[in-house]
Amino acid sequence: MAVKKRTKDLTFWQKIYLPEIAKGLALTFKNMVKPKYTIEYPEDKFIPPPSYRGRPVLVMEADGEERCVACGLCARVCPPLAIEVQASETEKEKERYPVKFEINMLRCIFCGFCEEVCPEEAIVMSKDYELAFTSREEAIYGKDKLLTPIDQLNDRIEFLRKYK
Amino acid sequence: MNIWEIIVITLIKILIVFTLLLLTVSYLVYFERKISAWAQNRIGPNRTGWKGALQPFADVGKLLLKEDIVPVNASKVVHTLAPVIALFVAFTTFAVIPIGPDIKLFGYNIQLVAADVNIGILYVLALTSLGVYAITFAGWSSGSKYSLLGGIRSSAQMISYEISMGFSVAGVLLLAGSLRPYDIVYSQSGWLWNAVIQPIGFITFFVSAFAETNRLPFDLPEAEPELVGGYHTEYSSMKFASFFLAEYANMIISGALIVTLYLGGWHFPWLESFGLAPWLVVAIQILTFIFKLAFILFFFMWVRWSIPRFRYDQLMNLGWKVMFPLSLLNLVWVAIVVMYIKP
Amino acid sequence: MATITIDGKKIEFKSGQTIIQAAKDNGINIPHFCWHPKLSISGNCRVCLVEVAKMPKLVIACATLAADGMVVFTNSEKAVNARNAVMEFILINHPLDCPICDEAGECKLQEYAYDYSVGESRFKEEKQHKEKRVPLGPNVMFDGERCISCSRCIRFCDEIVKEPQLTFVQRGDRVTIVTYPGKELDNDYSLNVTDICPVGALTNRDFRFKSRVWEMSTTKSVCTGCSRGCNSDIWVRNNLILRITPRENEKVNSYWMCDHGRLNTFKNINQLETRINGAFIKEGLSHVPTEWESAYRKAANELKKYAKDEIAFIGSPFATNEDNYLLAKIAKNFGVSNLDFMRHENPAFGDDILKRNDITPNSFGAELAGIRPGKNGFALSEIIQKINDGKIKVVYLLEDDIAESNPEAAEAFAKLKLLIVHSVNFNKTTDLAHIIFGAAAYAEKNGTMINFEGRVQRIRPAVALATPDKSLDGQKLSRQDKFGTEYDSWAQKNIKDALPSWTILMNVAKELDFRLKYNIAEDIFLEMSKNIDALNGLNYNILGELGVPVKDSINQPLAKAL
Repeated sequence: MAVKKRTKDLTFWQKIYLPEIAKGLALTFKNMVKPKYTIEYPEDKFIPPPSYRGRPVLVMEADGEERCVACGLCARVCPPLAIEVQASETEKEKERYPVKFEINMLRCIFCGFCEEVCPEEAIVMSKDYELAFTSREEAIYGKDKLLTPIDQLNDRIEFLRKYK
Repeated sequence: MNIWEIIVITLIKILIVFTLLLLTVSYLVYFERKISAWAQNRIGPNRTGWKGALQPFADVGKLLLKEDIVPVNASKVVHTLAPVIALFVAFTTFAVIPIGPDIKLFGYNIQLVAADVNIGILYVLALTSLGVYAITFAGWSSGSKYSLLGGIRSSAQMISYEISMGFSVAGVLLLAGSLRPYDIVYSQSGWLWNAVIQPIGFITFFVSAFAETNRLPFDLPEAEPELVGGYHTEYSSMKFASFFLAEYANMIISGALIVTLYLGGWHFPWLESFGLAPWLVVAIQILTFIFKLAFILFFFMWVRWSIPRFRYDQLMNLGWKVMFPLSLLNLVWVAIVVMYIKP
Repeated sequence: MATITIDGKKIEFKSGQTIIQAAKDNGINIPHFCWHPKLSISGNCRVCLVEVAKMPKLVIACATLAADGMVVFTNSEKAVNARNAVMEFILINHPLDCPICDEAGECKLQEYAYDYSVGESRFKEEKQHKEKRVPLGPNVMFDGERCISCSRCIRFCDEIVKEPQLTFVQRGDRVTIVTYPGKELDNDYSLNVTDICPVGALTNRDFRFKSRVWEMSTTKSVCTGCSRGCNSDIWVRNNLILRITPRENEKVNSYWMCDHGRLNTFKNINQLETRINGAFIKEGLSHVPTEWESAYRKAANELKKYAKDEIAFIGSPFATNEDNYLLAKIAKNFGVSNLDFMRHENPAFGDDILKRNDITPNSFGAELAGIRPGKNGFALSEIIQKINDGKIKVVYLLEDDIAESNPEAAEAFAKLKLLIVHSVNFNKTTDLAHIIFGAAAYAEKNGTMINFEGRVQRIRPAVALATPDKSLDGQKLSRQDKFGTEYDSWAQKNIKDALPSWTILMNVAKELDFRLKYNIAEDIFLEMSKNIDALNGLNYNILGELGVPVKDSINQPLAKAL
């Protein structure tokens, strides 16, 4: 076996090894008595900052309508093809709206591209990180689950206006 | 005391020791997890019972319900025998370790040891070397390369470290002039514990104890990154649990041995000079023993979560080139002490 | 030949060509909105401004005749600045509603804004508001704000359809397009204006908001609306055909296509309720779904029960050459000489632009493939007669709803002992049938069709079937179709269980102890090209995207007959 020369020679005390062990033990002991940062999840919940990218949701205006005009840019930009939009015509001024807006949460990677590309500020990343399903079908979120009142999303929208 | 009384008393003692040992072992696992969590800035098990206090029982329940798998290539008899040996060795060793001075109860003079054998230390050494068989058998009989490697490593390691362990113990025996654990404990009353008189021996014994119990940094027989699970790769369910129990029981025994041999057993320095009631003295002494043992066990775990595993060549270097000469040196030193310093 | 130099590249041109035409013929693209190769020159968009050496001012490439020795710069500083200015000017009143606009993704203005515009507007004032969502006719919707007044649509109606229906009104930035009083944009070619409109001002009312253009897969195909065989693109999403657009082919349809072909040739393919999924056998009064295999067996066993002269095979001018050829081949082998197909003529349909009176796509091909009465065999009218006489008891019919278009035949078919039909949808003929096979529509299979001029053209599968045709040549896949998995809703939806007629015929033939071995439609076509002189030496590769004419020198009588 080829013997490789050490790049750094150890000092005498390091060679004795026991002081080094003591140092290591001291370090772990310090950590043992340190306060813990763990959030005990189901009881205490983590409240993310506005920069957090949770489950993407559709912004619902005060009148109960979505902002989305079903332009399909989010579906186009979505790297894992999680979003499926079907547009239709509406009598309102915005002309088109999504009859179907589905996000497959099994595919979603929470990259936030949909939010970034959205010209209408209609899809934003919420603070919801509690996602669990028992079937593939359940993981496909339709408009009923995606539409979220705008007052719950204000701080994210503010964040986007500041930094996007 | 007639023979029947002695038998009954001994059986009761065995029962108590056995139960306590089992309970302690399961809680050791719990504390191991807790201490690892604390060292890593986590909380550890906290779901079952208060602060996770029922975790050991949940673990046992789970292990009992697991399917017992015996590999096709395994040698069935030996495969089954190995965990039995491991458990047997672990539990029987405790028989000779005294946890306190004699007490008087219901008119009987009772020794706080299951068997007061006058060659107790020899008995311990003999049994612990038997423990190698458990691991070697397990490694060989599983019919898996990982198990085999683990078993081979284990036997090499244990044999290597047993030498320095033996020489370290020789120092203690020299000083006490007896193989009887009681005598050894009495020989270090007051504060003149063996750890103080022969620190090098203490350290070599301590390190060898780590190696003998296969604890980190000497857990090469079950080194997960390279050997999957070492000798217990192919064990599941209660057989695996037996190895697990044996490992922690071994830890307790090593701890108790260290306390007995080097840390003055149940002795609390200058306790006699306080003039306390005799029963209180005994109680304090038992607690002292338990406290010392607890500290040693904590230290075992503390080391485990602080120091990384040795490489195999480092392990052998340390065993033969460092520990062995050091223990010899210690023996010389003790001889000098016995000859010239101690009257 | 005279040459001009464009951006340092010397190119030859024919006299009378403008700069933009000369450039286009040589693969140089000069941006343009109002110019269209088939329309007169209007020169109002000004985006094709180029610099010509020794000319004091920039000139528009679309209206300036190329002259020998001319040196043109399309990317000189002057030209680029002018183009930027024109783009900024056009964009002043153009709304920023690309997310809503259907044209987004295939919009000339959008593309040029990326390629030639600085991307910033100095116009801070309120944009001009005009009428939005004006239905100009039954098929076309107009958005006044998006219009950039290029006048292509007006010129198209005037020059190509020769039915002036559109005009400008107002002046300056208020200019907008209306139909003449009392008129609608209702000519037979009105949807072409949505194609030539460089922006989203004119949109297809049928396709409106159905899908973004980039979400659809496109497949090069041929229109089956009449015997012209206009080259088309089929746009598919979620296994539904959403629209059909013309594909340029100077030899057939140029850039155009009629509204009938665009709107009425695909709806039945999408219609899940009327599509025939799998095979059906009549039991009592209703049709019961059956396994394909047992339907093949049943068909063959029933056919074997009758004498050969009691059987008639009827091909179809809607089916491909391959299907018809195989039917003819099986008929010959089985000894059936009563073989013909029905012609569908609609004298009211044709015009002198594209539409033809023969409203079937492949009557030329059906005849060429050998669908004609054999020795002592009867033609269709005689077959119907014989059915009524009780002489013919069995008809095997390929993809043609004869009962619908010929009431006489419907009456006769009701008397049949056995009617086996291949069909895409349930219809009057399938109601009478005893065994029905679900046939793949033209947008679901490979094959060839021959238009009235004798041009052999390919059709390709655009829509997936339960048993998909794996060949994907000529298909431009959308991202969804490319990366979808079996778990994605869009990949599973609207799948129909149908088979190309030639596959069904092959399987029935097998049960008739006539073993045929074709793996793909081209195998049949290659056999045809060996056996039929007019197709000699052809294969799918040679047909390519634009098709080739049959060799009429060898097959003179046939070409004359049509």
